[in-house]
Order: sequence, then C-alpha cells, then structure tokens
Amino acid sequence: MKPARFEYLAPTSVEEAVSLLVEGGEDAKLLAGGQSLVPLMNLRLAQPSVLIDLNKVEGISSITESEDAVVIGSMARHRAVAESEVVRRFLPLLAESAGHIGYPAIRARGTIGGSIAHADPVSEFPCACLCLHAEFVLTGPAGTRQVRAEDFFVSYLTTALSPDEILTEVRFPKPSPGLGWGFLELARKTGDFALAAVAATVALSPDGTCSEASIAVAGGGDRPLRMVEAETMLKGNQGDDVIARAATAAATSSNPPSDIHSSGDFRRQMIEVLTRRVLTAAWGNARRGE
Amino acid sequence: MTQSLAPRLLGAKVKRVEDPRFLLGKARYIDDMVRPGMLHAAFLRSPIPHGNVRSVDVGPALAMERVRAALTGRDIATKVKPIVCDSTFEGFKSSNYHAIALDKVRYVGEALAIVAADTRYIAEDAIEMIEFDIDELGPVASIAAATREGAPLLHEHWGDNFFIEDLLEAGDVESAFRDAHGVFEINVSNQRHSGIPLETRGVIAEFDSDGVLTMWSATQIPHMVRTGMADCLEVPEHKIRVIAPDVGGGFGPKGHLFPEELAVCQLAIETGRPIKWIEDRREHMLSTFHAREHYHRVKVAYTEEGVVTALDATIEVDCGAYSIYPWTAAMDVEMGLVMLPGPYKIRNFRCEAQSVATNKCPFGAYRGVARTAVCFSIERIMDQVANKVGLDPVEVRRRNLIRSDEFPYMSITGMEYDSGSLIESLDKVCDEADYKAMRQFQEEARSEGRMVGIGVSVFTEQTAPPADKGLPLNFSWDAATVRMDPSGKVVVQVGTHSHGQGHETTLAQIVADELELPLADVRIAFGDTESTPNGIGTFASRSAVVAGSASYLAAVSVKENLTERAAHLLEASVEDVEVKAGRISVKGAPEQSVSIAEVARISYHHPELLDPSMEPLLEAVATYNAGPGTYANSAQIALIEVDAETGKFKILRYLVVEDCGQMINPTIVDGQVHGGIAQGLGGALFEELIYDDEGQLLTTTFLDYLMPGATDIPNIEVSHLVTPSAFVPNGIKGMGEGGAVAPGAVLACAIEDAIKPIGEVFVDRTPLTPERVVRFIEAASSGGGVE
Ligand SMILES: Cc1cc2nc3c(=O)[nH]c(=O)nc-3n(C[C@H](O)[C@H](O)[C@H](O)COP(=O)(O)OP(=O)(O)OC[C@H]3O[C@@H](n4cnc5c(N)ncnc54)[C@H](O)[C@@H]3O)c2cc1C
Repeated sequence: MKPARFEYLAPTSVEEAVSLLVEGGEDAKLLAGGQSLVPLMNLRLAQPSVLIDLNKVEGISSITESEDAVVIGSMARHRAVAESEVVRRFLPLLAESAGHIGYPAIRARGTIGGSIAHADPVSEFPCACLCLHAEFVLTGPAGTRQVRAEDFFVSYLTTALSPDEILTEVRFPKPSPGLGWGFLELARKTGDFALAAVAATVALSPDGTCSEASIAVAGGGDRPLRMVEAETMLKGNQGDDVIARAATAAATSSNPPSDIHSSGDFRRQMIEVLTRRVLTAAWGNARRGE
Repeated sequence: MTQSLAPRLLGAKVKRVEDPRFLLGKARYIDDMVRPGMLHAAFLRSPIPHGNVRSVDVGPALAMERVRAALTGRDIATKVKPIVCDSTFEGFKSSNYHAIALDKVRYVGEALAIVAADTRYIAEDAIEMIEFDIDELGPVASIAAATREGAPLLHEHWGDNFFIEDLLEAGDVESAFRDAHGVFEINVSNQRHSGIPLETRGVIAEFDSDGVLTMWSATQIPHMVRTGMADCLEVPEHKIRVIAPDVGGGFGPKGHLFPEELAVCQLAIETGRPIKWIEDRREHMLSTFHAREHYHRVKVAYTEEGVVTALDATIEVDCGAYSIYPWTAAMDVEMGLVMLPGPYKIRNFRCEAQSVATNKCPFGAYRGVARTAVCFSIERIMDQVANKVGLDPVEVRRRNLIRSDEFPYMSITGMEYDSGSLIESLDKVCDEADYKAMRQFQEEARSEGRMVGIGVSVFTEQTAPPADKGLPLNFSWDAATVRMDPSGKVVVQVGTHSHGQGHETTLAQIVADELELPLADVRIAFGDTESTPNGIGTFASRSAVVAGSASYLAAVSVKENLTERAAHLLEASVEDVEVKAGRISVKGAPEQSVSIAEVARISYHHPELLDPSMEPLLEAVATYNAGPGTYANSAQIALIEVDAETGKFKILRYLVVEDCGQMINPTIVDGQVHGGIAQGLGGALFEELIYDDEGQLLTTTFLDYLMPGATDIPNIEVSHLVTPSAFVPNGIKGMGEGGAVAPGAVLACAIEDAIKPIGEVFVDRTPLTPERVVRFIEAASSGGGVE
C-alpha cells in the first residue's frame, strides 16, 4: 500500500496551478484534501506522475456571502462548511449533509471541491449541490466558465471538468425565505458511505400547496439524480398522498446498483422511504409564502 | 500454600500500569524498530485462487536499482519445509503450507515471491515487475462447490476436499426423538470474518554471524512460533530467539505461525541483512487467517414443558486452503462438536462435523473460537422452543440450564464444567434490566406502533482449555519465573504475552499480594524467548489462569525462601515468622523483624550470613497446568428498537452479567467485556469477508469490510457474580473471550421478538444488515418467515 513514484508540486496561485496542470498533461492530478485520491494512490489504482497540491493555493478556501449567492471556495474543508455561520443560515441543508460525510478526521481534511470533482454517486455534497441549484466555477488556461450542477455530473467518478481545469468555487443562489428543506441518509454504520441519501427543498404557496420543489438523490445511479417527475407531481399539491406518490416516483426514476452492502432493489426501496421522510420534514419546516 | 493475610490488590480496581505507555504513544511496535542495514520486504501475492504455478520470474525485479534480493517458492524449496499441522484425530488429512507457494496456489493472497529493497516503496515497485505464469484450475469458493461431484481438488492426493469428517454420538438420540413432544430443525450460518487488530502483522528478522536467528514479530505466541520455525527452517531451536514487543491487538489472528514469518526469516538468512515486513491492511484482509464461517443444521427434540431432550446436528466449517499451525484445520469443528450443548442439560446428542478445504484464506483462531457459532445455534434453538411451547425466552432457558448444585457437571460430550452460576446469572441480568418493566415498556411501545424487541442469551465460557485432544501439542500449562533482585524488588517473567489484556497489572497484583510488596515493586516481563521461561502464549482466555497461577506458585516459593532466610537471621524458627507489608517478623514480637529488602541484600551480597544450606538466589520457576480448564459463564440481555422501514435498529440497553470467579481486577474484567461485546456486535451487524463464486475476496479495505465505531456501540451495563474456580489458585477463571460470544444470538433473538406482532420469522444468520432485517420484516408480514 505504497503509492507509485510521483512528482510533487505545490503552487501558491490558481494561475500557477493551472499552468502546472497544463504542463503535467494527462498524468497530472490535483491534490485537495487527499481523502479520496490518496487511498486510491496507496492501492495503486491511481498512479499520477505529477501531483499538484492545492493546499498552498491562496484565495480558494473562503466562504462568503453576496447579495444573491453564497460562495464557497473549493478548498473549504467539509468541517468548515458544516460549521460556517453563513452556510448554516442560508444553506442549512448543505451544513446538515456535511455532517454525514465520514468521520471528524475526514471532515477536517476533505474539501468540498474535492468531493464534487471526485463525483462519487453516493457522496453527500454532489447531491446537496444538485438539490440547491449550485453552479461550479471552473478555471482553466482559457479563463473561467460556470457549469450548473445538473450539467456537471456525467457518470461514476466522471464530470464536466476537463483535465486542464480546476474547480475553484461553488456558488449557491440564496434561497427564498421560508424554503423548507430536509436531508436524510441511510448508511450501514455511522459515518459510512450512504446506501442512499435524499435532499429536498419545498417552497409553499400561501394556501399551503407546493410552489416549488427540488429533490436530489445520492445512490440512485451512476451520478446524483434530480427527481424531476416527483418535483412536478408536488407542484400545486399538498398532503401525505402526493408526498407518497412523489416518493414512489423518485424510487422508480432511480436505477441503483447492487453491491456487497445492499441490493439495488433495497436501495430503491430506501430511496422511496427517505424521499417520503425528507419531503415530510421539508413541508414541516417550510413557511408559507405571502 | 499460604493465603495472603490481607489481600490488598487481588480484586481491587487497580489502574493499569501499562496505560501511560500506550496512551502517550510511547509503546514500541515492530514498525517503530529500525535495525542497522535493514531492508524492507514486500510480497507478491497470487491474484488467482486456484492454479498450478508454472513459473515465477523475479529477474526483472532484481534488475531494478536498490532491489537487493528476491525469493520464490522454488528458491526456498529445499531449505524451508512447509508448515504441516496435523490433527491427531483419525482420518485427518495433511496439507503442506509452503512459506511461498511452490507448485500450486490455493487462495488469492497466497505468497508467490518475496522481494527486499532499500525501501518498502521500491519493494512494491519491484513486485509489479515480477512475471508469473499460473495455469488456472477451477475455483472452489464454498462448501457447496467443494463437496459436489467432480469438484476440483485442492490437495489432489486426498481424493476429496475434507480435512476431517467426525461424528460424536452419546445418549440415546433415537428414543429421545421418538418420545419427543415436538421436533424441529434449524439451519443457521455465521459469516466469515475475523479479528482486525489496529496494528497489522509485522516481522523483522536478523541472522547474525553466530548463526543466531532473531525474529521480532507481532505475535501472541513467541514460544510456539519458535518451535514452528525450528521445525521448518534450517536453524535449531536454541539458535532462534523470538521477540514479541508491544503488540497492537491480537484477538487470536496473531496466534499462529505464519508463512510470511518463515519467508522473511529465510530472506534474512540468505542476505545477512535484517529484513522488515509490515503487513498492510489489504494483505491483512487477504492473508491473516480468517474465522467464524460455520454452517449448522440441527434437529431438536423437546418436551411439552420446553425442555430440550436431544440434538441431532451437522456442523460444517469452511476452513480455507491449509491446516494452520498450531491449531489445525480441525479446531473449529472439534470445539463446535463438544460445545454445542453449551450451558444446557442435553443428554442425547449426535453430531456430524466436517472441515472443508476451499480456495480461501486459511481459517484460524479468533476470540471465542467456535463458541460464537454454537452459542448462536443453541440460543436460536432455545428461542424456537420458547415459541413452540409458548414460553418466555427467559423461562425456557431457566428450564434447560444446568443448576448450580449440579456442578461439577460432565456434559454429554465429555466436557467437565467445573463450576458455574448459569441460572443465577440469568436471574441477575433480568433483575438488573428490570425485565418485567422492560416487557411493559415493550407493550407500551408496541401500542404506539413502535417495533421494540428484547433478546437474551446465556452461555458457558470454556477458558484455559487443555486441548489435549486432537492437537499436535498440548497447551494446558504455562510457566513463570519470579526473580527477586538484591534490593528486594521483583521481575516476573512469563511465557504468555499481553497485547491489551493488562497482564502487566494483573499478574503484578497477584505476585505483589503474595510477596507482601507494593505493586510498584513488581514488574512483569514477557515476549522474549531469551528472557522468559519456555511457555505457550496468550489465547483462549488462559493467561490469568495459567500465567496467573504459575506466577503465584513461583511467588509462593520465593516467599518460602525469604521466610527461611529471615527466620535464620532473626534466629527464630520458620513457623514463628510471618511476612507482612514488606517485612518479616517474629509472630507476636513485631520489633524483631527484617525487611524483605534487607533479606534480599544479604542473600545476594552477604551469603556468608546465611545458613550454608541456603542458596543466594531468590528466584523460582513454576509451571501451572489448568487440567480440564475452567468455565466462566455469562448472561446478556438487549433491548432494541427497529426502524421497520429501513431495518436499522438502535440498541437501547445492553446488559451483561459476567461470572469469572475471583476477579483479579474488576476494571480490567469490565474492559474485556466491553471490548468483547464490541467485537461481537461487529460480527452481528457489520463484519464480513466475502468471496465471490470465483474465489476473489471482495472485502479488502474498510470501504467494504465494515467495523463498528464508537457511535455504533451502546452503553454496556456490566455486573458480576463470583463463583470461584474449584481448583485454580485464588479461584480465578478466564474471561477474555466471552463478551464476543453472545451478541449475535442476543440480537437475533431481539429482532425476532421485535417483529413478532407482525408475524413469526426465524433469524438464521448474521450480519443483521438493514436489508436483511427489512426482508425478515417483509417475510413476517407475508406469513412466510418460518421454516
Ligand atoms: C474513511 C473515509 C470515509 C469517507 N466517507 C465519506 C462519506 O461518507 N461521504 C463522502 O461524500 N465522502 C466520504 N469520503 C471522501 C471524502 O469526503 C473526500 O474528502 C472527498 O471525496 C474528496 O475530497 P478531497 O478534498 O479529499 O479530494 P482529493 O482526495 O484530494 O481529490 C479527489 C479527486 O478530486 C480531484 N480534485 C480535488 N480538488 C479538485 C479541484 N479543486 N478541482 C478539480 N479537481 C479536484 C483530485 O484530483 C482527485 O481526483 C470518505 C473518505 C474516507 C477516507
């Protein structure tokens, strides 16, 4: 369990990091918190020839608030996200999801950018980002571009990032006041990777019906999934029945894999249970809009 | 044997003297050690479960810079004998377990070559360069695959894939079944898993110019390993020194001779350089011996009152590729065979048992060998009987347990249970739990639609067993030397090893009491074959009994010597002096006294003041033989609440009553119970080594193999009964494994109980994953859950 030989570089600016990435070519890899990459290297499943450490890069780990957005630097640690005042105030769902990632030691090192770039389909952050309509700022040799979470996750460990780009920022639109939310996951043991996780937000009209809903599922396929059909069913409706039907729709739209921890069927079943519970919780804490 | 006048330390909650070392990170493990000129080794391991080895070419690896040496199975074939460990039971078939595979590989992870380089990194680079050619044979990845017609044979000359098939029959099984009120059959399994110590295995070997081979190894059994090494290597036993320094957890898996130890030693012999090999976690999963995989089918006869009258059983154990040293591939079946009736008075018994060879990692010892599986079976049986005759699970057990006045009790399988408090333990755990209130709480919860269950289990814990049957060596004894130095302080050297159990404290408590010295004046040393008496090692809950008693007996004899010398110096007769609080004085005349320190000083440095018949040395070696072993017992209850939709459940309470006779140190006893329960819950809920049908191990990291963490373990409420051993000095019994035995049985019982309002199910296996629990619930509601 020792990695193969690699060269180690530690740039201090995004520009420098990008140019090293371009120089390094296909075999170069960015190192963020190392909590996914280093285990893969130790098992020699990843053998990058150049490792470009982002830990000394300045200006990409802060969490700030603008008029209409919360902006999280890609090198913000899971723990910083979970504990940030700004995140807890505007994006409680994101803070909640961070608490389900691994263990304290993992959360102290792992970064939101690393989690998103790694794109494990059962990961909490990609799912939460999808639910919260996040946009990712990618910086490459030609400058920056912004990609919506919906367009970013391609398949298992595969994203819209091109090999010469760095994810530098995650931007969340500030939610409308009174937005209801919920995040739940089922894991075999505390801190372990989720069998399935569901994030949802619900906005209510003055009459108590749903005006807007966003549902995202982790563990439902090869990437985090938006549950558009379920969302549509909710709009203009309320009550346990429609929630139950939406949950069934979410399960039906999922195509979870089987592995040693659970069959795909069970995961699908759990997506239904979790979606129902999350929607019920979101309804419960949503305030009616005026 | 004089009893200590005022027992000060035995039974006291003394703080562990070794803790500061461990808690401050000052312990020294194998990987902390550096030897001059040391090289680092890595193994090439077979990715193929079953095949004929045509060639292994280490040439390309040796051509790399800073790669210093490499060995294949062929290279060592004439120099290192394979590990052979045969059971003495009739019909046992022998296997040759080579340090490095020779003609055949039989499991994924078996060593194909070893490489030594300047760093472990380079050694692992070199491993990737080795070229090998293996003709694949059909993989035998389960008992079913091993036993079907025309199955590929692991060891061709056997003619089949059975290490051993055995049968034990006692009483009149046929009549018992004929006369039974009811008969049923259960079919249960325990999944393959094992002890996962924080520190993996590790070895440093060094061969000096005098031909002395020193091996540092993270082992529980330095002396037995030395014997095994001498059997296999070309180095005689008196030129082998085995040192087991601080060992970061053993749990049984580190209690074997491993092929890697031999390969690393041979490489040290051939290169003349010290060689270090540290097992990584993936290697640990692949190649540190597995355990637990049992399949039991049991037919049960019972009376109208819920008394079990007969068992007719089959025990199958998937033993993997080779028979392991020193326990053999018969260990689990033979122990299962005799312990299946457990704490219950079953007088008619028939059991067939089979150890099956498969293309899996060999199968060895893990905390609670075979007893976890037999406890699961017999407790599942009790719960079924309770259901069938309409009794509470506690009551049905009470009706079947051996009563205290029936000890010593000879079990139907010929095991001699020395003493115990089975019914009292069960009653006590019910009292502690307030069982009635618990049932009431359950009723109320159920009326609110919650799914709440109670599980219970009682078991006997065979400790310090003799294993005089079947094994190639009898390990019923161990040895200790008590050496007093000229200042009157003591070093106790024992043949056992402590790797978390706290022997540096408990053995010192025993010796300090006997010698009337403060604890700080006694130091315990172990883990070096050069400086300890020949002994056996630590496993099977034996050290408190055998090392504790050997230390005690050696202390008794040093005390006699001290007393004699003091009497001479005080000009009194031996009968007239007494040892108390560090001094020896004339009875009734305390002013006439000498300190132990003074006597020691005179003994060594002024022997002329002693009687000429007295030797200067204040030192004694003693051995202690625990004969048939001694039996602790325990009862456990859990209260759980199940999330009926997700199958996740919370353990609301977990209670244990432990009776291990006289406790040396109750804090350490509690710690052993806590750790045991945690491991037992690991097996009940999470841990599983899974092979696919092709013989590939799917669980080689902690991503796949789940271990319980602190948040997964409930508060454990431990209380005690004390039924001293009838024969062990100080009334001590072992207790290291018991905690790990019952959790599977307790939780299976609790899950069934929780589901009961929906319908009856039979929980037939562990681990109790969310999916499995949900499927049980679904089966109950569709009425199809009972066999
Ligand atoms: C024991 C354990 C338990 C865990 N449990 C969970 C869990 O429950 N849920 C969960 O979601 N995760 C879990 N993780 C993974 C953890 O969250 C990782 O931190 C995360 O997946 C990756 O983030 P990182 O900063 O560590 O990235 P790294 O490991 O450093 O990098 C991961 C990948 O992303 C790339 N990368 C990193 N940063 C950027 C960037 N800014 N731009 C472009 N590419 C980049 C790297 O090149 C690499 O390919 C666990 C990890 C461990 C070790």
